[in-house]
Amino acid sequence: MDRNQIGKWLKNPSKMANKYSFHVVYFCTGCGIIEIPPTITARWDAERFGIIPVATPRQANLFLITGYVSTKTLKAIIRTYEQMPEPKYTIAFGSCPINGGMYYDSYNTIKSLDKYIPVDGYIAGCMPRPEAIFIGVTHLWKLIDMDKADGYKRYREDYEFYRENQEQLFGELNWPPLFKNKGS
Amino acid sequence: MNIIAMFISPFIALLSGMFFLGISRKIMARLQWRYGPPVIQPVIDVIRSFSQMSISHGSLFDFGIILSLTGSFVLVLFLPIGELCPFTSGGLIAFIYLMLLGPLGIALSSAAAANPNSSIGISRKFLLSLAYEVPLLLVFLAVMTRYNTISLVEIVKIQASTGWAFGSWTLVLSGIAYFLILPAILGVRPFEVIKASQEISSGPIAEFGGKHLAFSTLQHALHMFVGLALFVDIFLGGWTLFGLLDPLSGTLWAVILGIVIFLLKMLVVLVIGIFINAVYPRYRIEQAMKYLWKWPMLLSFIGLIIVVLAT
Repeated sequence: MDRNQIGKWLKNPSKMANKYSFHVVYFCTGCGIIEIPPTITARWDAERFGIIPVATPRQANLFLITGYVSTKTLKAIIRTYEQMPEPKYTIAFGSCPINGGMYYDSYNTIKSLDKYIPVDGYIAGCMPRPEAIFIGVTHLWKLIDMDKADGYKRYREDYEFYRENQEQLFGELNWPPLFKNKGS
Repeated sequence: MNIIAMFISPFIALLSGMFFLGISRKIMARLQWRYGPPVIQPVIDVIRSFSQMSISHGSLFDFGIILSLTGSFVLVLFLPIGELCPFTSGGLIAFIYLMLLGPLGIALSSAAAANPNSSIGISRKFLLSLAYEVPLLLVFLAVMTRYNTISLVEIVKIQASTGWAFGSWTLVLSGIAYFLILPAILGVRPFEVIKASQEISSGPIAEFGGKHLAFSTLQHALHMFVGLALFVDIFLGGWTLFGLLDPLSGTLWAVILGIVIFLLKMLVVLVIGIFINAVYPRYRIEQAMKYLWKWPMLLSFIGLIIVVLAT
């Protein structure tokens, strides 16, 4: 912690604490999870940035989706995301959640994750190295500072859009909507 | 004086408990050749948890964690921190009763949450309490028999004149027994069966998010403080340090320096505990119970017999 940040801490402690304490749920969807163990252990040591893995989504505020998202795992991703308490941030890791990556023509893989849950930032690459996670996180710090990491707000506001996309993919969803529809 | 102590001592306990959590994370990191988080990282985590929206599972869920935190706060009031001790009566008997309040509150919360991982965690927590409380009772009994009092303040005072209990041949076995069960009281490895985040997703606190998680972290910090402070009070002579503070006795400086010495002693015990935590893997619950009911029990029982024969 820098000394010149004390003013910021006094002004908005919750925002600063959200910046420097990321409790992460790593969603092991694909090959990206291989990059996570070196990131959180002795070689690259994510804990010096305040990033530690937690076991349940209830305790987390950062959601890292590592690798391609198949239709089946998307259900679990949505439910995990909805269980996390706000404020929460999502980072998609690797090229697959951006545009399908090497699975661009697969019948069973989601091409764009942003249609189903809001994503605050992408780390492109196949695979990104652990350093890229740190660059991504420092970029997320800047976004939080500028109040631009507003994925959870977008989910609340445009819930109908996301829910519609989810229902379009799965047919009937077997869980109730998270938020009540506003106008209708 | 007593009223001031009542406000100051939980404050000191909370502050140093959070500091101990931070320093244990830092030391663990340095032992693993990492740089590690800043020492105030647990404080940042707690602020973050308080700012998050929390999900409640009913009134029992909220009540349980408050009960647990309150129990830990009350426990601190019975504890002589240096020369600061709000409730001088009660002593070790109060500890025997109140030490179970923390697990009980968390158990109420977890029962309301109805998460299978929490249920497994809480059953492990109670089994582990059962396992360590039998040798703990024997240790308390030995100490009470030796010093002929139940008051912690009296025990510290007697040690100031006769030397640390850990150094005397009558109580050294009881001291070793307490040190062996200390990781179980603190819930660190090799007795990390309760939280075990790899197998039962952090156990009793699996459903805690937001403010509930913050309260449980604070409770953990206080519980850690109480476990360590009890060891220092009973066996390492509390605030005394080879008569260093004798010329100052009765002044305010003696009180302040006494607290500092007390916290330093706790830090030394904690660092040794962290070294054990860093190198050992985790027991299974039945292995932990078998261990706790064998070696610390044997040592504390022999210690009790020695005390009975010596007095």
